[in-house]
Amino acid sequence: MFLLSLSRSILFAIQSFWRNIWLSLATIFIITLTFISINFLVIISAVSDSAIEAVKEKIDISIYFQQEVNETKVAEIKSHLETLPQIKSITYSSSEDNLANFKTKHQDELLIQEALKELEKNPLGATLIVKAKQLDDYPEILEAIDNPAYSDLIEERSYDDHQVVIDRINAITENVRKGGLIISGLFVIIAALIVFNTVRIAIFTHRHEVGIMKLVGATNWFVRSPFIIENIFSGVIACVLAIGVVYFILSLIQPHLSSYFGGAEFNIIGYFNSNALVIFGSQLIGIIVLNIISSSLAIGKYLRV
Amino acid sequence: MIHLINVTKKFNRQTVAVNNATIHIEPGEFVSIVGQSGCGKTTIIRLLISEIKPDHGQIIIGGWDITKIKSYQIPLLRRQIGVVFQDFKLLPKKTVFENVAFALQVSGTTRGRINKIVPQVLKIVDLEDKLDRYPQELSGGERQRVAIARALVHRPKVLLADEPTGNLDAINSKEIINLLLKINDFGTTVLLVSHDKSIVNALKKRVITMEDGAIVQDQKIGKYVI
Repeated sequence: MFLLSLSRSILFAIQSFWRNIWLSLATIFIITLTFISINFLVIISAVSDSAIEAVKEKIDISIYFQQEVNETKVAEIKSHLETLPQIKSITYSSSEDNLANFKTKHQDELLIQEALKELEKNPLGATLIVKAKQLDDYPEILEAIDNPAYSDLIEERSYDDHQVVIDRINAITENVRKGGLIISGLFVIIAALIVFNTVRIAIFTHRHEVGIMKLVGATNWFVRSPFIIENIFSGVIACVLAIGVVYFILSLIQPHLSSYFGGAEFNIIGYFNSNALVIFGSQLIGIIVLNIISSSLAIGKYLRV
Repeated sequence: MIHLINVTKKFNRQTVAVNNATIHIEPGEFVSIVGQSGCGKTTIIRLLISEIKPDHGQIIIGGWDITKIKSYQIPLLRRQIGVVFQDFKLLPKKTVFENVAFALQVSGTTRGRINKIVPQVLKIVDLEDKLDRYPQELSGGERQRVAIARALVHRPKVLLADEPTGNLDAINSKEIINLLLKINDFGTTVLLVSHDKSIVNALKKRVITMEDGAIVQDQKIGKYVI
């Protein structure tokens, strides 16, 4: 009996979908637009997160050692720093490497080249480039570097230049997160209201039929279920359409993203691929739940016959 | 078969739609309820299908006291009573076959049985060649015949007809009344609500006359006299 009723509900839903095709298409269109809008928010959030990560990635502490500090001492300091839990990586660059890099960098500047020739020995010391796991970790690493035992060995450290940038990024990240949360929340509420009203309008147009069904002995469930199933159809079709449109938009955006990130690689399609289940799955579940709630509420009014 | 005992129904406290009405209808009877618009005829039908509940009194149909029927029992009641309305109440997006079949589908009848019964019932109302038509493709008389077929499909013991000829011309009206008489001949109790004098007078059957919600006359072979 239950299976018979369910199969009839599905059949009625399909019939109603086709026989009211314009209403069905209008419903699908609005739900698709809602989906696309939500996904735009996801794209903006992913791009801004990646942009912030890309900037964060460029921040490090460069420790310039005195020329006379030997390799063993630098290695010792490196080993000491590596014991800190906040350290992500430390790259060692010898004085010879630094000189070679310096020469390459200034190869067209004759004055610098001649000045280097005048000097009998390498004026540059070794360097350590330290990256922290989190932006907040840098002050603690700096504290460790500022150890009096090392201060005579270090000629300069570059971090002070980044402090302002880091503070600014932290502030931006925090604001983006707060703003994103508020916008996302508002958007989800607006989207829910749009879908809710779309479903209500669709059912409103069927209100006389609901009354007739009741008068010939249909139970509330028998009347309600085809409408719910039909609206679930619309939601699933809208989701599939939205996925197609979103991927099309992503393929248009992708080539411009590399230039936006200053050459850094950011694969937005890859991001969507790897998070597809969460992004689209949650939206689909959301729309199905919303459809069930709005269909049930909207139809309830006309079931009192 | 149908018993209304001291039934009163008020709307908005002041409007008394049915006032202390008592009606006893025996199985197989053909009864007309007549009266002017607003006299409470249609309220009687709405009470009998539990669309509304009485404020006072008792309603019994086929031995079932429906006075305080539970909402989950209402579909079961409606599957046992055939109802025909003035405005036909057909599902516009379903064909003739589907409209009649729907009344069986709601009660869980199998497809095989539906495919057997529906053409038979549509043959009784002379619409066996219009199974695939939609209501808007039919004349008024044909639509009402579909509605009668739908009302009959459960083989009800009672058929309630609320102004079934109200939207029809004289020829179609006569056809519908003849159909109701034919159904009554098969043993179904028919309760006809009408304000059409010529139809009621031609029937020469029992007539109950209502005025301001009260039963003012009940004649075995009656006439519409108001």
